[in-house]
Amino acid sequence: MSYAYLFKYIIIGDTGVGKSCLLLQFTDKRFQPVHDLTIGVEFGARMITIDGKQIKLQIWDTAGQEAFRSITRSYYRGAAGALLVYDITRRETFNHLTTWLEDARQHSNSNMVIMLIGNKSDLESRREVKKEEGEAFAREHGLVFMETSAKTAANVEEAFINTAKEIYEKIQEGVFDINNEANGIKIGPQHSPTNPSLPGAGGQGGSQGGGCC
Amino acid sequence: MDTSDSEHFESADEEFNSDTEDKNVKTKTISDTSETLKLKEMTISEESINVSNVKEVSTVNVVSNDNSCHDLKRKNVKPVVRNPTADKSDKRSKPGKLKLGVKLGTKITSTSCNAIKCDDVEDSKLKSNYDNKTSSSSKTNIDDNHKTCISALKDIKNEENLQKLDKREEIVLDEESNMWADDEWEPISSTDNKLTNKETNETNKTVQNNFSSGWGGWGNWDVTSLLSTATMGVTTITNHVSQGLTTVLESGIGVPDPEELARLNKMEGKSKESIEVDEEEEEKKEVDSKNNKSGVPDLTFGLGSFVSGVSQITKLVESTGNKVISSGLDTLETIGKKTMEVLQEGDPGLKKKRAFLKIDADKPVLSHILREAKEKAEQENRLAEEKHVSKKANYETLFDDHQGLAHLEALEMLSRQCDIKLKTLLESHSGADLIEMQETLSQIKELCELTDEDEDEKEELDESEIKEKIETAVTELNVSISYNKLMSTWKDISHWLENLDLNLYSAAQLHEESINILAQLTAVAVELFHKTGELLLIKEHRSTVDEADSLVQLTTTMTTLISDIAKKASNKLNEKATQSGSKDNVNQFITNVYFEATNSSSYIKNAFELLIPVLQVGAV
Repeated sequence: MSYAYLFKYIIIGDTGVGKSCLLLQFTDKRFQPVHDLTIGVEFGARMITIDGKQIKLQIWDTAGQEAFRSITRSYYRGAAGALLVYDITRRETFNHLTTWLEDARQHSNSNMVIMLIGNKSDLESRREVKKEEGEAFAREHGLVFMETSAKTAANVEEAFINTAKEIYEKIQEGVFDINNEANGIKIGPQHSPTNPSLPGAGGQGGSQGGGCC
Repeated sequence: MDTSDSEHFESADEEFNSDTEDKNVKTKTISDTSETLKLKEMTISEESINVSNVKEVSTVNVVSNDNSCHDLKRKNVKPVVRNPTADKSDKRSKPGKLKLGVKLGTKITSTSCNAIKCDDVEDSKLKSNYDNKTSSSSKTNIDDNHKTCISALKDIKNEENLQKLDKREEIVLDEESNMWADDEWEPISSTDNKLTNKETNETNKTVQNNFSSGWGGWGNWDVTSLLSTATMGVTTITNHVSQGLTTVLESGIGVPDPEELARLNKMEGKSKESIEVDEEEEEKKEVDSKNNKSGVPDLTFGLGSFVSGVSQITKLVESTGNKVISSGLDTLETIGKKTMEVLQEGDPGLKKKRAFLKIDADKPVLSHILREAKEKAEQENRLAEEKHVSKKANYETLFDDHQGLAHLEALEMLSRQCDIKLKTLLESHSGADLIEMQETLSQIKELCELTDEDEDEKEELDESEIKEKIETAVTELNVSISYNKLMSTWKDISHWLENLDLNLYSAAQLHEESINILAQLTAVAVELFHKTGELLLIKEHRSTVDEADSLVQLTTTMTTLISDIAKKASNKLNEKATQSGSKDNVNQFITNVYFEATNSSSYIKNAFELLIPVLQVGAV
């Protein structure tokens, strides 16, 4: 399957907040109540469409366990988007957000789009973190915020797609250098010089090169 | 007239004060003019007037107009009467032309023509202050000379004026005496005798010799003047650049080529002959000797215009060039500083980046290569689809579909991280500790040497045998890793191959499936290695030797599995070929299956090698 862009995502957050379940819901549209503990990192991929363009999301679902922290940190590099997940029924997962955020900011590129996700919104009765608190944290740290439920699939699609939209906008604005793979964006095979949409830019570059010589 | 004249010279001289060479040229002109006018009451020394005129005129022309040399050539042919310019100097110069033209022919024509040109330039005020001064001074100079030729021989005003100039010139010469002593122009004066002998050929040779010595002089001048303002390194660069510039000038800025100069010299020789009078001969010798005293070379027309013209151009280009170079160096320095700042951001000492670069330089990143190959293949497939040709099985795409590529990429990151850790550790050690550590690392590497043996020995692989091998290997690793995925994948594949109904698949489909199972198994193998690496890194107590042994064991087992599957798949393809009778096509498929099986094996081996730093980190 050909795509215009490939975005690399990472999913981070405390263990048991539902990172792997979110991924499974997004890629397979199913929910698994009991999930094996993730070892290091697992992968998922799905094609989405933004602005009429096929975009492949390559998602790196990291292990939340403290033991894997040093390993998972090395996977942050080259991610265009990050889903920072906490569990609305466990306050400590919310309290750890600052540490996760610092980690992410330190080990990834500065333009990475970070989406804050309060998962398990279906468990309203056991809620410990108010939605407003999540919103406030996101506002304070310049993140996009959303409450999701991997179980009911509420907002799961939106969380992944909105992040992609934000990245896409940044590409349009020229914030991301799409030719630098360290930004977590790869141009798809159809965006080769034979693509009729690109020769304009290519030709321009060529003429500029000729001019300077 | 006289006041403005001297003013011109004064202002011009002020301009030249910064530049010795220009001063020399200037002085030379003044001296020529004065000599001429001293002698004028006895005879008209057309030649010296001529020389000074041409020198000055061409100087201005070259400075003010790049095309002047072309004009010069053109106007040598055209009579000056046709010149549309009709200002004062034109009127004045016309009688001069009429008189002198008889004797000097085309020579003087070009001179007066250029004089007019100078006036044009000045009047239109297109030029800079500097140029204006130069051209106006030369204009008066020329005017004087022409008046001398026509009727102003007894003009007291001019005489007084030139006496002033003469005095002025003497002062200048006193001041510059040291300069003249060392100047490379000196040897040129020795050629004056030859000039007086009117040996045209020799003159031409001399001209060429003068070129080389003249340029040499410029080279020296460059170095000394630049040394005072720039560092040694910069000087060298600038010198090179200026040499380059002079080369460009020589060929590109309308300077007459040697052939042209030779022709002009010949013409001059002829004109000299035509005006040859004994008296003049004597006068000329006198002029020459005086010129020699003052150190001014008596240059022929071509050389004079060439050198003095170029000297000004070169100076301009030189100064511009210096500015460009110095500001360019500043910019480079700024860029360099900024780059270092950016690079060192959050990475003091660039340790991480250095480590990264080392790794990157050592080996190409496999996942990148694979991804590129995959993308290339996908593009080809797209084109094929457009042509309604059935999609060809592509190993890399299938490998990616089974997440093999992602695992390989992650494993590479892990491996790189361990490499960085190791290098940082090595840097912190020294002496005996360092040697010990290096030995440990190389020992581990030796443990991980893969032997290429027994690939063909194992004919049939028993399922339980395989399971036992993998089980033992994984147990020795002492990590909670599940090899179930590998086992189940392999079992599924074997099962599919054994119970394959050849009638349900075409040869092409069979080929595609074979590539798919190879890619699938390889992806699972790479995933297993990746997971093993992660688990080893968080393992509490490491036992490197056991780990290395079991990983080697796993690698050999997995490559055996790959070749086993490739063998089985190609057997099926052979069967299919016998069944259908289309041998040629199938042979290509079989070759491809074996080719991708070899690729699979090398990916697995590569994944294993990526684990070596993980093992090494555990040992130190």
